Amino acid sequence: MAQSVRIQPDLQFVKELQAVGGESLKKCYQCATCSVACPISPASNPYPRKEMVWASWGLKDKLINNPDIWLCHNCGTCSDLCPRGAKPGDLLSALRNMAYQRINVFPTIGKWMSSPKYLINLIAIPAILWAVIWFISANYYAGSAFPVGPDGEIVYGNLFFGDYFIDPIFMLTFFGMVACFFKGTRNLIKSFKPEGTTLVLGKQKPLLLCLKDVLFEEIMTHKKFKDCGDDRSDRKAGHMLVFYAFLALMVVTGVVAVGHWGGYLFHSIAIHTPLNLTNPIKILANVGAIMLIVGMAVLTNRRRSQEDAKTKSNYYDWYLLNVIWAVALTGVLSELSRLAGIPQIAYTVYYMHLVAVWMLFAYLPWSKLGHVVYRTVALTYVRHMGRR
Amino acid sequence: MSNSILVVGGGFSGITAALEAAELGYEVYIVEKSPFLGGRVAQLNKYFPKLCPPSCGLEIQFQRIKKNPNVKFFTQATVDSVAGEAGNFTVTLSIAPRCTAPSSAELSTLAEGLEGEVTDEFNFGLSTRKPLYMDTPFAFPNRYVLEKDNLSQADKLKVGSSVHCDLNESEKSVVLNVGSIVLATGWKPYDVTNLTNLGAGQIKNCVSNMQLERLASPNGPTNGAIQRPTDGKAPKKIAFVQCAGSRDQNHLNFCSYICCMASLKQALYVREQYPDAEVTIYYIDLRTPGRYDKFMRKATADEMIHLVKGKVAGVESDAATGDVIVEVEDAVKGTKKKVRHDMVVLATGMQPSLSGEKNPFGVQLDEDGFVIGGEAKGIFAAGCATKPLDVMRTAQSGTSAALKAIQTVRGR
Repeated sequence: MAQSVRIQPDLQFVKELQAVGGESLKKCYQCATCSVACPISPASNPYPRKEMVWASWGLKDKLINNPDIWLCHNCGTCSDLCPRGAKPGDLLSALRNMAYQRINVFPTIGKWMSSPKYLINLIAIPAILWAVIWFISANYYAGSAFPVGPDGEIVYGNLFFGDYFIDPIFMLTFFGMVACFFKGTRNLIKSFKPEGTTLVLGKQKPLLLCLKDVLFEEIMTHKKFKDCGDDRSDRKAGHMLVFYAFLALMVVTGVVAVGHWGGYLFHSIAIHTPLNLTNPIKILANVGAIMLIVGMAVLTNRRRSQEDAKTKSNYYDWYLLNVIWAVALTGVLSELSRLAGIPQIAYTVYYMHLVAVWMLFAYLPWSKLGHVVYRTVALTYVRHMGRR
Repeated sequence: MSNSILVVGGGFSGITAALEAAELGYEVYIVEKSPFLGGRVAQLNKYFPKLCPPSCGLEIQFQRIKKNPNVKFFTQATVDSVAGEAGNFTVTLSIAPRCTAPSSAELSTLAEGLEGEVTDEFNFGLSTRKPLYMDTPFAFPNRYVLEKDNLSQADKLKVGSSVHCDLNESEKSVVLNVGSIVLATGWKPYDVTNLTNLGAGQIKNCVSNMQLERLASPNGPTNGAIQRPTDGKAPKKIAFVQCAGSRDQNHLNFCSYICCMASLKQALYVREQYPDAEVTIYYIDLRTPGRYDKFMRKATADEMIHLVKGKVAGVESDAATGDVIVEVEDAVKGTKKKVRHDMVVLATGMQPSLSGEKNPFGVQLDEDGFVIGGEAKGIFAAGCATKPLDVMRTAQSGTSAALKAIQTVRGR
């Protein structure tokens, strides 16, 4: 040894890591089974063994600037084969949870997202917001808290006006979220930058082309999920259903928004809600809702049947599953209770739907769903840097 | 009341315990479930660290047994039940028929002439043997065993005409009155079929360390030539996979203690047989405690013996060439690679023999199957029934158990 390396462990960091899902990390004895077990870990500097030793030693800088934590798709094979029950898969998941707290703006929201004791704060914001709007509309515009049309029909837009309440609030929320993601993405890429200068040999593929490849080769096809192993095909199916369900519902929302606002300019493309059940857009919406519920059932069932000794679901996992369940169930129940013509139930459920949807979107960058953007960014970045 | 001692298990610790007590004047019974004494040691090619053959050591013990009228032993015998307490145990044994005369007749010609072939468990399935057999030429008792269930009709006629064979011998039951019991039930190699990511025993050229002992042993299936089981090719590139099923909560949750030394020993004798062979030992931590450090230095001084830190987590076979490909991360370099070898040896660990077996002794076992209780009842464990041990420590623990057993029966 020409030079001794002095390790300066950040003990506080180790404790934080253990708190967000990495509690077993100290059991690791560095046998490297995990790196080999992982079907998608690269040949050079494979994960997650190196992350395990960094975590044990409290090497915070190395861990938080590491794009590899996003390459992992959390299949759990490493944790299943781990001889010590150190759960390397859970550690990477914990590191991602930490990243949601660290790279995003408004760290307070990140803190609230980290523990069930703050859940009430997260619910209170949209609950109060939509309650105030309900109150104002019922007293000053709709004339009733549960307004019905002349034939007893329920139109949610007659209480929660699309043009004045729903659309402006959700557009603000959406673009606010996009802005947060923009800032978070910049922080994330900055953290990945290696120290010193990187020598690039040969031609480097432009970032945008890398993004295209990631989107079409990996995300659309869920290729990594397949590579994670055929024995986990239910996981791939569940995730894919949920992914395409959201895509379908996004298309529906986009078409309706364009039709609605565009309708003011060009009457020919105007769309008015509620849509008839035979309308192709409505069919897409309903198919999307069914796909979402089926996919969620598969994913939830998988998590519930997981052995805690091998892979332990953390609060981030359960928060996201529950919020999506809330969105899906209140959404479907809103439609059913509207069609059933029970205004008290219908409006209450719709209110809950608004609360749930707002929670899903407004807190997206800080929640586990933030991986939609951050994992995509990391996959694009590593592709750009030539790491596969 | 009895001042006799029962030793369960005729391996190295059992033999040692029995002899120590017998040579101090106590009557001792050894109960051995297989047809021959010597246990796992008899299956070895060489001991570490001196690299001498197991006949050195066992031969002396067998002579001591022969010469001492205080030692009586039962082979092919199992303990059915144990009743009573310290000083007065009633033990019932079942003894399977050996079907050969007690005269230690030389039956090799008769055995050769038989047509039946049986998988040889003594060689861990690497070869077959006749249904009339001895494990090794120096087996003790030096008396053939006849397995009548594995005889063909023609074999039965041949055997029936021999005055040294008795097809009508039947199972016997023996009741013993003893004052104390030594449990020297030993160990079994961990079942490789559980190691799904290491080939699950389906890859022929991926053998276990005990199989390699048999391959290298002069009385083994290849008369000591270390060859690939599939094609008999002399291996030029051999890998050892350490902790194959040991230190693993999914398999054996403990360190088997001997496998690192066993692999180093095997690396040395492979290199001795093939001076141009290359050996790689993949390990998590190399555990060569105490004086074994010197042995480790001797092995690693050989330039053709490589040590790579990283546990092999994938083994697959190349059907075309019979080669075995291991997948491993070199944890020092941080690279994951697939490496091709002519032959791979899984350093499987020791599982206590009592694990998963019936326990008529009523002693407490820990979750892995090692004996942790019984001393208050006058039952003492020795050797690998207590924990993984090398042969030297096994002998020491046999002596220690004998001393405790003597203290229990003394003056009765």
